[in-house]
Amino acid sequence: MEFQFKRQIFGFMDLLRFKNMVKVRRKHLAAGSDRALPASYKVNETAKILHPGYMNASLVRVEQNSADTKTYILETEQPFYFRAGQYATLGCRIGDSEVARPYAISSAPREALNKTVAFTVKKCGFFSGYLFDNAKAGDRFVVGDPSGTFHYEGIKDSRRVTALAGGSGITPFYSMAQAVADGTEDFELTILYGAKTEADLVFKAELDTLKSPKIKVVYVLSDETKEGYEHGFLSADLIRKYISGDFTVMMCGPEAMYAFLDKELLAFNLPPRRIKKEANCIGNRDVKDAVFNLTVHIGDKEFTIPASANETVLTSMERAGLNVPSKCRAGGCGFCHSKLINGQFTIGGSDKRRLADSKFGYIHPCCTYPDSDMSIIVPKA
Amino acid sequence: MKNYDAVVIGAGNGGLAATIRLLQGGARVLLVEKHNLPGGFATSFKRGRFEFEASLHELNDFGTKENAGDVRDLFDQLGVTDKIEWLQIPDAYRVISREEKIDALMPFGIEAFIAQMEKYVPGSRLSMEKFFSLAETIRSAQAYTSSVNGKADPKIMLSRYGNFVRCGSYSVNEVLKSLKMPKRARDILNAYWCYLGAHCDDLSFTHYASMVIRYITRGAAMPKSRSHEISLAFVERIRELGGDILFNTEAVKILTDAEDGGVGGVILDDGTEIKTRHVIANCAPHLVYGKMMDRVPPEVVKATNARKFAGRGYSLFLGLDKSPDELGIENHNYFLYDTMDSVKQYDLMKSIRTNDVQATVCLNRAYPECSPEGTTMMYFTTLYMEDDWANVKPEDYFKTKEFTAERMIRRFEEDLNTNLRDHIEEISIATPMTYARYCGHPQGTIYGYESQYWDGLTPRLQMMDEDHRIRGLRFAGGYSMRLSGYSSAYFSGDISGRQTVGDIKREG
Repeated sequence: MEFQFKRQIFGFMDLLRFKNMVKVRRKHLAAGSDRALPASYKVNETAKILHPGYMNASLVRVEQNSADTKTYILETEQPFYFRAGQYATLGCRIGDSEVARPYAISSAPREALNKTVAFTVKKCGFFSGYLFDNAKAGDRFVVGDPSGTFHYEGIKDSRRVTALAGGSGITPFYSMAQAVADGTEDFELTILYGAKTEADLVFKAELDTLKSPKIKVVYVLSDETKEGYEHGFLSADLIRKYISGDFTVMMCGPEAMYAFLDKELLAFNLPPRRIKKEANCIGNRDVKDAVFNLTVHIGDKEFTIPASANETVLTSMERAGLNVPSKCRAGGCGFCHSKLINGQFTIGGSDKRRLADSKFGYIHPCCTYPDSDMSIIVPKA
Repeated sequence: MKNYDAVVIGAGNGGLAATIRLLQGGARVLLVEKHNLPGGFATSFKRGRFEFEASLHELNDFGTKENAGDVRDLFDQLGVTDKIEWLQIPDAYRVISREEKIDALMPFGIEAFIAQMEKYVPGSRLSMEKFFSLAETIRSAQAYTSSVNGKADPKIMLSRYGNFVRCGSYSVNEVLKSLKMPKRARDILNAYWCYLGAHCDDLSFTHYASMVIRYITRGAAMPKSRSHEISLAFVERIRELGGDILFNTEAVKILTDAEDGGVGGVILDDGTEIKTRHVIANCAPHLVYGKMMDRVPPEVVKATNARKFAGRGYSLFLGLDKSPDELGIENHNYFLYDTMDSVKQYDLMKSIRTNDVQATVCLNRAYPECSPEGTTMMYFTTLYMEDDWANVKPEDYFKTKEFTAERMIRRFEEDLNTNLRDHIEEISIATPMTYARYCGHPQGTIYGYESQYWDGLTPRLQMMDEDHRIRGLRFAGGYSMRLSGYSSAYFSGDISGRQTVGDIKREG
């Protein structure tokens, strides 16, 4: 026979206790405070500073750094915080479309707590060109959530960081240098900064004043030979000249620079954990042009728009004035996660989708080129 | 104005299950989710060549086709089981506790579990057999209660499930002591307590035993492509059944009907007003009554204020550039404690500076191909039992994150005599702030309302009808009647979904 559980001296007392559980809970619930329930919580408030989401911002001033590069300093509607090296989207309304692009933040994290953020942008495309030619103090912008993992990670990275910056790729490192200088970050930063000529260097004066035992900056000019500057491209020899022992490499620059440096770095036999690269936006692809019909479902609305085989699905949607989510534009963050109903496509760069996304037919429009007519479900921005 | 029979707020595990139930019941349903992905915590994320599981350690009560658990039965009914590829977890757990010098590896299967316990703690067999006998009765009693929608006949309860009633009002420790279980056996058996998040003086025995027996008899399962696969399978099913889903869309208000104070509609973040008389909220009642409804009855405010938030979550994710064999990581899941005195341990878990508890998973030990050859994927989770993270200022946040991660890595390295630190290729850390941001839970709570003595599983189930105080408003997820955890959240969605179908039918 099954044993009979008993805890009290008399078994019926166990039963009575059970019977009383509802009464006990009822009593507790009735004894709760009658003050209104909180509308917010401290941890959630801090989270709102760390991950503010979209923030309205106004342009405070513009500084010209070189012939083709300007820094846009904005005041955000709320304080926020980020990790030096991270990017955020900067966007505004141009004509009938909302346009946004991801840029590395060039200001220090500490300043963001005072609602100040800066982006340093080289004029090279539609939005950067618009900024360069039109942006002026007082203009309204939207700044996105600080994102990305291109930052120093104390637990895994070597305390010695070798920063390899190509051209405008200096911006995340300028933020890092400021963060090291003001004590926000604690590591040794050696920046090898490659540009064509001295005139193309942005932040040279600022970087020179930040130099310290923890911050070294080496300028490397490819198209100019000058006293006090290294000449040529960023290379294994240059790294060897300025750094020894264990180090973490962080690279930010154009794809051609990555391809070259990947080969140069072989000489150091570094494990993958010692090399970090900031991803670049997926651009156009070079195929025979064709225009497909792209059907986009957003909520209960349906749009059919033209989509060029050369451009990403995201770009086609933006061209058509659809307000859709975008963040990294490099296929990795998953913010534009959309459901494919039908159609053929090719992914630009490596496939960074989650396993189940491939299985159930989800795409990241920011890195997807159409190979046929397509139909997709996209969340609203 | 758009009109739906029901709106489900939040596509977490509970909301997803509820949506399918509503659709199966013939309702026209809108599911709104503020994030761009479904699942809430049931998701995954990529870092370099690793795809990390965001939260699921192991799915309880799923079992296999031949030995199906209740969750598998539910998934079968919902029509999602076969959309997902499943794996089985090899062992129940390995528990290591410093104070008692325990290092025990426990297997699945009642016989194997009892035999292993007898090996570690000679003389424990009889009490362990009694434990499983009680647990089996509890499971049967719960199955009976569910089959009659919570309206159990007291006479049947007493005649068929007498032991359930007799032990039903006691804590884990009270019952195990009554069974005269040797202390060391209790310590080893109690290892799962942090999965429920209340210490064993507080935690209801029926709740704990019901979880343990499901693990031990049915094993634990895991979807191959992480829990994101489950969440997308649910979405797929919802679309097949004709449900509408809006991602990146937050429900900001629940409108009340002027006549009876019940649900009248929902307002979305872009101002859209949806007309509906039924809402299933897959979020905290604290949020619904604190900011989503204008008129909340005073007794509801009191009842909500009376409840206590359970653990606030913290997880560390590591992608390592050596294989588990090379690292010497032998098992799938570990519980590391300072002490098996869960009351003392619970207190230590209140503060960032004293919390060293971790539930740690090496997914490769269940699924060797989960990461590239020669690599290892691990995740470490703990709970904070008070709001110490509320004291962390934004400017100290990253350092605090690192401090706690350091501590977790060091603890694992010391207890398992291994080196992780020199092999970290990818690292990611989620704190209460992360959980607050992703799912909006107050203070970064991941376990709903704590399974306190008075607010445990049994009285919540018994009071389901009574807790439903606003016409048309029901809850799903970790804050509701089944408490927290994956299985519980799915069940809560099942229950609230079916109840709402009934509510709609009664309205005609």
